[in-house]
Amino acid sequence: MKDQLRNLDQLSRRQFVARTAKTALGVSILPIAGASTKVLAAGGGKAEHCIFFYMAGGMTHMETFDPKPGTETGGKTKGIPTGVAGVELAEYMPKLAKGFKDIAVVRSMTQQTGDHRGGSYWMHTSYQPRATIIHPSMGPWAQTLLGKKHETLPDSVVIGAGGNHPGAGFFGPALAPLPIGDPDKGVQNARPYSGVDEDLFEKRLDLMNTFDESFQRKFKNDDVTAYTQFYEETLKLMKSEDLDTFDLSREDNYEEKARRYGNSRVGKGAMLAKRLVSAGVRFVEVSAGGWDMHNDLWNAIPNTGGSLDQALASLIEDLKAEGLFEKTLIVLGTEFGRTPKINANGGRDHHPRCFSTMFAGGGITGGQVYGKTDKLAMAVEENPVTPKDFNATIAHAMGLDLNKVVYAPSGRPFLLAGHTHDPKTNEIVSEGHPIMELFS
Amino acid sequence: MKTRSFYHRLSLLLAGFVFSTSVALAESRTWTSADGKTLEAEFVGTVGAGASAMVKLKMADDSIINYPVAKLSEADRLFVKGNLPTDPAALAGEIDKLVVNKLKESYYGLRDELAALPGKTDLSNEEKAKRKEEIEREMQMCIPNDPTNDNQFLRRIYLDIAGRIPTFDEAEEFLNNRSATKRADLINKLLDSPAFAMRMYNYYSDLFRIRDGVVMMGNGDLRADPYIEYIKHSIREDKPYDEMVTELLTATGQLWEEPAAGYLLADSGMRLCNLSNTFTVFMGTEITCAQCHDHPFEEVYQMDFYKMASFMGETETRVRGNQAMGDSMMMSGGDTRAEVARMSKLLKDAGKLRENETIDNNLQQWLGTRSIAVHDDGTNAVELPHDYKYDDGEPNMKVKPSAYFGDVVNLEEYESPREAFAVWVASPSNPRFTINAVNRFWKLAFGLAQIEPVYNIPGHLDGQAQNYELLMFLEEMMKDLDYSVKDFFRVLYNTQAYQREAETLSPTLTQIDKGTYHFPGPILRRMTAEQIWDSLVALTTADPEAVTRSGWQQYREWMNTDTTQLKTADEVMAFKEAWRDIGKLTNYNGQYVSRDDYVDGVEMFRASELRQPMPDGHFLRMFGQSDKQLIENQFTEGSSPQVMALLNGTITNKVLTSPDAYLIKEIAMGRGSKRDNIDKIFLSVLTRYPSSEEKSMAQSGMRARTNRDMSEQQKLEVEADAIGNVIWALVNTREFLFVQ
Repeated sequence: MKDQLRNLDQLSRRQFVARTAKTALGVSILPIAGASTKVLAAGGGKAEHCIFFYMAGGMTHMETFDPKPGTETGGKTKGIPTGVAGVELAEYMPKLAKGFKDIAVVRSMTQQTGDHRGGSYWMHTSYQPRATIIHPSMGPWAQTLLGKKHETLPDSVVIGAGGNHPGAGFFGPALAPLPIGDPDKGVQNARPYSGVDEDLFEKRLDLMNTFDESFQRKFKNDDVTAYTQFYEETLKLMKSEDLDTFDLSREDNYEEKARRYGNSRVGKGAMLAKRLVSAGVRFVEVSAGGWDMHNDLWNAIPNTGGSLDQALASLIEDLKAEGLFEKTLIVLGTEFGRTPKINANGGRDHHPRCFSTMFAGGGITGGQVYGKTDKLAMAVEENPVTPKDFNATIAHAMGLDLNKVVYAPSGRPFLLAGHTHDPKTNEIVSEGHPIMELFS
Repeated sequence: MKTRSFYHRLSLLLAGFVFSTSVALAESRTWTSADGKTLEAEFVGTVGAGASAMVKLKMADDSIINYPVAKLSEADRLFVKGNLPTDPAALAGEIDKLVVNKLKESYYGLRDELAALPGKTDLSNEEKAKRKEEIEREMQMCIPNDPTNDNQFLRRIYLDIAGRIPTFDEAEEFLNNRSATKRADLINKLLDSPAFAMRMYNYYSDLFRIRDGVVMMGNGDLRADPYIEYIKHSIREDKPYDEMVTELLTATGQLWEEPAAGYLLADSGMRLCNLSNTFTVFMGTEITCAQCHDHPFEEVYQMDFYKMASFMGETETRVRGNQAMGDSMMMSGGDTRAEVARMSKLLKDAGKLRENETIDNNLQQWLGTRSIAVHDDGTNAVELPHDYKYDDGEPNMKVKPSAYFGDVVNLEEYESPREAFAVWVASPSNPRFTINAVNRFWKLAFGLAQIEPVYNIPGHLDGQAQNYELLMFLEEMMKDLDYSVKDFFRVLYNTQAYQREAETLSPTLTQIDKGTYHFPGPILRRMTAEQIWDSLVALTTADPEAVTRSGWQQYREWMNTDTTQLKTADEVMAFKEAWRDIGKLTNYNGQYVSRDDYVDGVEMFRASELRQPMPDGHFLRMFGQSDKQLIENQFTEGSSPQVMALLNGTITNKVLTSPDAYLIKEIAMGRGSKRDNIDKIFLSVLTRYPSSEEKSMAQSGMRARTNRDMSEQQKLEVEADAIGNVIWALVNTREFLFVQ
């Protein structure tokens, strides 16, 4: 009720019913009114898809993309060559170092807050968390600005995130990314319960329809009708091939592939992301935890870092083999970096002043490093990049209009990479700027 | 009308005479009108209730006149109030009159419009046809619906007050009851049951965004248990609503000592957002936009926002450095760190920490929350924003607290600006406080508010509402009932308006916006996520409220432990161990609930007792439980994941339908005659009996699969399966999901 009321003047009730009725997996399939066309500028707009790897907990920059071996803060971490003179990655990223020509590393990320939820919120939405509004994340932004990509598949999917994902924010539940908890399990409850065969299932549905007849006859109410249509849509969906898209076990050579991706959560997430993107899903986020390394960092990093390295390298390899690499942007983000100073428990603490992210595919020129931290990896020395710039870069790669103003139901204006006033024109413009150096 | 001449006569009397004190009647007293005129008369009684209440006065000449209570002086109103009927039936009767009057008035108005339609020259034929259709539809919605039958009433009243459907036994008890007052009796019983507190808690927790971890952007180590218990306790004890709101806004201290502090702590570090939220929740006023600029549609200037915010400008939610919290045990900052280091060393020396660890992170985080507390530090932190652009102030300028509507606040009368603010908010003379409460509570009972949306009541009402007279009546009634939430709902649920069948047509958004839905009955609603979940819980046990969350006392003890007395590693380990028990659910007997108490591995306990909110992907969240991030963030729209959960999930396929399931084993096979199995299942799930057609359809499953050669045991199994199918099908009906 509330959402409809909010949209009182934007959406008539009848449209609402049409919208809810024509959704699959809870995500609207109708194009959004006012969707703009792609903005193609300066190497951008090539990415039709995006796979966003989110490292929850705060990924240590010094053990991944910005090692400082031999310095007082470098710890035990060694550097390994990348083939580009003077550029080393940390030893836990051997495969990415080897394939460095495909990736671009940003070492000068900087962030305002050192709390996980606040930092994660900034990275996902370009906005400071408020207790009065939830801003949308990038998948729903893309759908809003470009319209729906695939007729029946959802536009965005989030794999393995906890409960704090901003989702569609004020765009409302209809645009919410489809959540997948365990990549191996796919969509929850999509198949009949074990032991329920087709006959039994049909028989139960017959009973249901008989029992519900008098109620449905009496209440020809929009909400009731919408539910009945959800039942019909869902039953269709259960029989459709779309569901197979979410079923990792249907992947050819599943065992071998899973091994190649590292048999880890992040590896399985990457496998599923690739499967979804191949089928037409636009935006997939793969969330992986374990990065909040306050204790015993060097005990954890070989495994956590190694799984990430293997997953990303295998994904790049497979996307290339399928000819999807140039059409798919791969992004790696996290809420903040970790303190150069090693703490009393052999770990590193939260460090929002500087951290690293990574881009690949989708029009990105690989083999480069953007930005620079100081000798101890304490602060940004060159070309600082904020979460707003980070999202502006994703948007540029995908051809999203950075200056398109979208109004929340409360009437407040928002832009996908944050907003500010242009003092000259007094118009609302994007505050984030894409890192143009990453595009050729 | 008779009353009009009485009005007239009284006002003449008041205008023309001042009674001499020599005309002393036995029980006569001096009455003063609001504008200061006086009259001697004897108090006889009252007529009506709420805003339309009249006082009956016996004059010196023995004639009796009625005079509106609202027009009396404050002192006389108080005198009368003590004698006003608080009898719910009388108040409900007044509401019913107002509802029916409005329906009639609207019906006749529409009828006239319909009659005049053909003669209208400014409309095309097509427009006329369309308008005709609209008018006819609206006229239909001006006819009061039929009264509910006992089954419909029973189901709805349980869902509305207890938050779930009745169990089989509860349904039988009510339906077999022959008492003439059984509906009113049930309303009373349910309002006093623990289930009501659970139901209202769910409502408030969506409004106040109550979550485990409390602080919106916190690390989750501050426990909500005492705050949650405070809310439930306030509901159980029927703490007056205005008192509860005052406590939420004025609580000072740490959450385990002053649980109501949870309200302000939720927005720790977001002072301005908290102000906006307080306006939305307690005054139905949306002022968020005035944080950055003058309100575009209402008379709220950016300056007003900061003047209001300034009331809370001295209020902090963190204790920094060594700020004393009064009690010597309340440590913060450095003290806690030193204590954690000392205890960690004990653990380290005993080999209880990992190789590279020297500080126990858990202790550091848990005890670190001692620095989270609401207090007023005497310095006002609120200033105008750096880009303030109006000419009534300079950027970064401090502003003095003051209110832009309602009473003028004299700060000197209060200990802190915050206290002044709380008193101002929760005052009966705040023009939006009581309206907001009754508007929201009406919506809870009838599915639609008098003014929608509830979070944005216009500053100048000008008669806007579905039924403005009724809204004014409700406001007055709430005040007369001294803000008793239970009594307020008692009245609403006793009205005929509530006890009518749900409206079969959906009011259009235009209708809601224009305020032309006048409540021929409550509107049809999908159950809230909590109502669905709790109803499923009620299908698994005879006592759905048996398991509760009750760790708040343990938590308080834990947080108040004088850790300096923990001298050995074992003692510190025991201390850490005690933390793990705090959030555990308990049974009636105080025993911790274990996995053995789950049903087929599922925590089938009331939603209000489970994690707040449940994790993403849980059944509750799928069906719309609020994530508790924003005010009223629950939803009732459908989605495919919901349908899939009902079609293919564990609950419908195992928890409710395995041969050992409560409904099958205890209800169908365990109560009364076996022949009535289908009846019992229908009554349990839909609170009604099956039609003969439904019954034979349900039974065909059993007959089809049994044969003479089967053993009794085999027949029972077949029957259990067939009943399981019926349960599955019933839970999957729309009838189950919607509140009629």
